[in-house]
Amino acid sequence: MKRPLLIACVTLAFARDAGAQQADTTDRPFVRGGVYDKPFQHRLAGRAVFGGYAEAHWRHERTDGVLAEGGFEAKRFNLFANARVSDFVRFAAELEFEEGGREVKLEFAAMDVRLHPALSLRGGMILSPLGRFNLAHDSPLNEFTDRPLVSTEIIGVALSEPGIGAFGRLRTGGASRLTWEFYATNGFSDSVVTGSEAGTRIPAGRGNVEDNNASPAFVGRVAWSPRLGTEFGLSAHRGQWNTHASEGVAFDARRSLTIAVVDLEAEWRGVVLQGEAATAVVELPDGLHGIYAARQAGAYVEVVREFWRGRVRTMPQSSFAAKARFDAIDRDRRVRGDAVAQVTAGLTFRPTRDSALKFDLVRGRDRDQFNNPTERAAVLVSLTTYF
Amino acid sequence: MRPPLRYLVPALALLAGTLAACAELATEPPADGEILDAPFAELSAGELRVFLTGDAEFSRRFAPSTGLGPVFNNASCFSCHSADGRGRSENSLIRFGTADNGFLAHLGGPQIQDRAIAGAIAETVPDGVPLSRRLPPPVFGMGLIEAIPEASILANADPDDANGDGVSGRPNWVSLHEYVPGAARTALGRFGRKAQTATLLEQVVEAYHQDMGITSDFRLTENLNPRAPVSDDLAPDPEIPAATVHAVVHYTRALAPPAPGADTPTRRTGAALFTSVGCAACHTPSFTTGPASLGALAGRKVEAYSDFLLHDMGEELADQRPDGQASGREWRTPPLWGLRLMRRFLDGDAFLMHDGRARSVEAAILLHGGEGQRARAAFTALNPASRRALLDFVESR
Repeated sequence: MKRPLLIACVTLAFARDAGAQQADTTDRPFVRGGVYDKPFQHRLAGRAVFGGYAEAHWRHERTDGVLAEGGFEAKRFNLFANARVSDFVRFAAELEFEEGGREVKLEFAAMDVRLHPALSLRGGMILSPLGRFNLAHDSPLNEFTDRPLVSTEIIGVALSEPGIGAFGRLRTGGASRLTWEFYATNGFSDSVVTGSEAGTRIPAGRGNVEDNNASPAFVGRVAWSPRLGTEFGLSAHRGQWNTHASEGVAFDARRSLTIAVVDLEAEWRGVVLQGEAATAVVELPDGLHGIYAARQAGAYVEVVREFWRGRVRTMPQSSFAAKARFDAIDRDRRVRGDAVAQVTAGLTFRPTRDSALKFDLVRGRDRDQFNNPTERAAVLVSLTTYF
Repeated sequence: MRPPLRYLVPALALLAGTLAACAELATEPPADGEILDAPFAELSAGELRVFLTGDAEFSRRFAPSTGLGPVFNNASCFSCHSADGRGRSENSLIRFGTADNGFLAHLGGPQIQDRAIAGAIAETVPDGVPLSRRLPPPVFGMGLIEAIPEASILANADPDDANGDGVSGRPNWVSLHEYVPGAARTALGRFGRKAQTATLLEQVVEAYHQDMGITSDFRLTENLNPRAPVSDDLAPDPEIPAATVHAVVHYTRALAPPAPGADTPTRRTGAALFTSVGCAACHTPSFTTGPASLGALAGRKVEAYSDFLLHDMGEELADQRPDGQASGREWRTPPLWGLRLMRRFLDGDAFLMHDGRARSVEAAILLHGGEGQRARAAFTALNPASRRALLDFVESR
């Protein structure tokens, strides 16, 4: 078993990229907007650099004509740090303060050992490569105030887990390249089902920092990018979510959670298209079938068109962007209802590339498990900046 | 600096879209009487506050970690009662017992809990016992039913059919659970398919306990599957306090029935036919409430179209499972209010009769046997236009 794995690793390491045995000459980050692609990171002393981003919202949401939520939110304050420990070792971390500090979370803290452009090792608190959005979800990077529903309701962005694995990139001719990431992690916890009062909620099972079943989950992503700004990715997670035994006594079967995600980013004549689709299958105890969802799915697609770059005379780096996004999620594929569909449209003004003022209008329809509709609408205004 | 024309067109299009979206943002609340979960308009601010607490609890979905199970039928009140209306046939419960009124507790009676949390074993239907499938009824209007004076309901009882109209009507006198306050230990059953429950408190406590496996200050021990090894859920008992139960009792008491549809000439004809063919003999058009625990419910007209009494509905509808003084052939007359909105809140479907077997009002009428046989025959004898008028009237309630 070990020998084929070794051969695969060596083959991977000496694949096309390795042919020239040269340094990776491309400036393209591993994931655009990802861990090591943050602006405004400053070296204060020694080898560590620091930075971060902040995000504030004003929300006005109505449901069937009734004010459902309104007010201001100090949504996120995130601090980044990374250090080039040596030519081969790097360390990066992100600490998140959410909702005015009500939630504090170590979102990322991992060490990378770079053996070769095609093979680096990573371990620590990692961002699971489950869809591109989870890898690059900083608010200043995105045009919309809210994250896509499929990301927040099905995948659970920001999904970070303790784990260890490897990643790398392979040049596939011309400007194109293939990137891959593969990790063993703790996976999700019982809270996917047993801890949620809303039914099956995969994001509720995040934060499994001490593995509840001593059984690793596996998550990986392969992405092909023919050129900068265009990428097609496939990713998947599979692992046991439930606690099946205690003190050596098994009281339940091992039950798995499988999530598969397809993501796409493309640019054509100034129009940026992004999208992601995910499907999830949760193995349930027999007694919970029909009450909890065993299958969920969701998708989003958004288009953004930047215009009037530098038109504000006092802000030469400024730009505007018109944007629209369609979101749909199905929380229980067994029934016709238990689903949400919404459209978001609006404008973003960027005084600089790394700061944004966003104005979003949201119109959507929730359907309960009986397929009864609830009309939703929202006006969202947010400010965000890297620092 | 003038922006180039090529930017102006998309900008104007965006502006137009934005304005259109803004207009859409004023999502309209449904008109009064068009939903099933609205409170009575006359509730005080304090009563509304408790109503909202009860509303949240009614919608609250239990998880194994918060007390669900170990055996149960569903995870929340809301999961069975669509928008506080009736449920779908797939939400039905199965009750069983013996023909001599035994609830067969040693086999899991009186109700099958067909689901279980991990580590527990769901109950299964025992062989050879009469089964009674029960559709979740609407929840609204229960406060009004509770406030109808006992004497008003009993005034329509005619257990020996003294008037010879073929319709009897018997009250179901039921024993009260020990947790119901007061000296009386028997009371007139008003709620449930066989009027087997006398008070809203019992209705709520037993639904928590039997349907969801939730213990409360009124029911301190779990409902377990007697045919399985002992198993419990993950939460300490009681899983909800008395205050939660009282809030849900208040919520169900304060839910107003939806308004009936517009009065039209056809419906006036239908209403007259409803009485003349004999439907109104059991589906009593109205009562007036007496004193009520909520001031807003006192002295109100209750247009439920039910006499809240038991009637023999014939062999085809019989479940052969007695409940209190109700025989295996008897059912409480179900209220007709809310039928106008039934399909809207059941995804276009209709589920009628005690088990949801009738998929339209007409099909339900045609299932009437026993004491309803005479009215059914009169309905079928009507000409098509009259039949349509009667159905239009019933479906407008």
